[in-house]
Amino acid sequence: MADAATQPKEAAAAAAASTHARPGLGQRLLGRFFPALFPPGEPLEAQRRLFLIALTAPVITYVLVFAVYPAIVGLSYSLWRYNLLRPHRTAFVGFDNYVKFFSDPAMQAALWNTAVFVVAAVILEFLLGFALALLLWRDRLFSRICLALLLVPVTVTPLATGLIFRALLTADYGPIGYWARILGISGERGFLGTPSTALATIVVMDVWQWTPLMALILLAGLKAIPATTLEAARVDGATALQRLTTIVVPLMVPSILLALLLRMIDASMVFDTIYVTTNGGPNNATNVLMIAAVKEGLEFFNIGTASTIATVMLALVGLMATVFFLLIGRYEKKVAP
Amino acid sequence: MTEVSASAARRGLRLRGLAENAALVAAVIAFLAPLVWLYSTAYKPAREIFQIPPALAFTPTLENFRVLLELYDLPSLVSSSLGISLGTTAVALLVGVPGGYALARSRWKHATTLAYALLAIRMMPRVVTLMPFYLMMRDVGLLGTIWAVVLTNATLSAGFVVWMMFSYFRALPPEAEYAAQIDGRTAFGAFLFVAVPLVVPGIVASALFSIMLSWNDFLTPVFLTGVDSKPLSVALLSAYGTKDVSWGTMGALAHFATLPIVLIALVLNRYFIQGLTRGMH
Repeated sequence: MADAATQPKEAAAAAAASTHARPGLGQRLLGRFFPALFPPGEPLEAQRRLFLIALTAPVITYVLVFAVYPAIVGLSYSLWRYNLLRPHRTAFVGFDNYVKFFSDPAMQAALWNTAVFVVAAVILEFLLGFALALLLWRDRLFSRICLALLLVPVTVTPLATGLIFRALLTADYGPIGYWARILGISGERGFLGTPSTALATIVVMDVWQWTPLMALILLAGLKAIPATTLEAARVDGATALQRLTTIVVPLMVPSILLALLLRMIDASMVFDTIYVTTNGGPNNATNVLMIAAVKEGLEFFNIGTASTIATVMLALVGLMATVFFLLIGRYEKKVAP
Repeated sequence: MTEVSASAARRGLRLRGLAENAALVAAVIAFLAPLVWLYSTAYKPAREIFQIPPALAFTPTLENFRVLLELYDLPSLVSSSLGISLGTTAVALLVGVPGGYALARSRWKHATTLAYALLAIRMMPRVVTLMPFYLMMRDVGLLGTIWAVVLTNATLSAGFVVWMMFSYFRALPPEAEYAAQIDGRTAFGAFLFVAVPLVVPGIVASALFSIMLSWNDFLTPVFLTGVDSKPLSVALLSAYGTKDVSWGTMGALAHFATLPIVLIALVLNRYFIQGLTRGMH
């Protein structure tokens, strides 16, 4: 990433800045052990590099100790039979946990539930979010006020979202649930208590909370479209719908893909809203991978099984990210070869 | 184009504008109504909450707030939530701002990749890290304190802060720092007193995002904190009603658990939006 234009200026300035700085003992020692990082010939370059490394070191160390190390340990548990309540039965079992995971009908159902939830929620959020973004596109005070108010659900803890909808939809006396039951729209046990409607209700909750975020990200993409391009199309007589399909959407593809990917990653790890409403029920209808993993790990202390579920989740997230980045890369190559 | 059709087109445009505004207002109402209802339960007497059939009108009361103070140790809950969100943010900024600066100024070709990698910590399902972290915190005696939550949440926030600051410092030409060094500042002095003041908006935006994430976090504190150190988000769950602890208490507690972040997001909306859009990219 060497920037040829600024490099000489930079070096001159650095040289002027440290006329009385000569390489210290630490730097000479580092130069001896890491000659590639601290070549002996350029003391100022080496000093600069040492300074930048020293500034990065805390965050790297911190993340290695408190995120990467626990993650590696956690992922490696998936190869062990390990229950905190029965520590004496701990044993290395290789891929047994994975074989069990993929042959367990309950886990297959959890995988399916997660997939249905992610696809349904993200598609709905995208369609509604895009419509909202188009409505908010024109920059004016009214749009900005509406955007600020629309973003309020994003700021609320997902736990509260779950509680609000659980209360509203309670079949006995909830303001919505009561009428839905009386009018026969929901089952006797309410939307959340009926297996066929429970997952769809969780999707609605997710849509309520995260559509505004989707709208915001898409709006940022819309605002990056050059106004002159749109004006030229208008002058040439393109209708609003034509401008949308031939200019706006094609130019938006990369930011649309990114918005979809980010929401899919977060949606695949949905937990709080389900935990406080159905906790995976009724009849496992809303049992997604994260709920299954937390139950196994933090309730039954089946660390091996929980790590296996989490590893599968991580693999799925990695797969989604790879596919989307390949799509974005291919699209950008097609547009600008 | 005749005058008649021009005015017809103008009228059509005005009608479309009106329809757009109406749609926006409808959306705002739809997205705010559930929250307004939650807050309103706090001012309803218990018997009116459980009225069958449910009614919208009610006689306001502050009774629920009195019950809330009786049932919950509110100062302890608030201070736990504050400690967790401010502590997390302080740690994240302390390690993240210098890290983002160094990566932005580095000419190492993998600097961007490293910044991406730090952002990608968020992709890790949290159950994976929580179990080893639980054992780690038990061994060092921090289990059951807010510090356990701060230490693990700050990894997510720090990754985000590095990414934000990386993009802000990249957009800032380094000449001012070199000039300061010529004037006798050290390299660190140039970073702290010249570069940092110029990216305060970015620091505010990422701090807001970090405060929001850890204030709203539920899974980590429910698992790592104890009775004395649990934050508002965890208490909110226990406020959901069996009939004696009605929705009224939940609504009252929700004022404390959600309104601070809602108000910060509305007052500092510009920074909040920057944090949300940049943090996602």
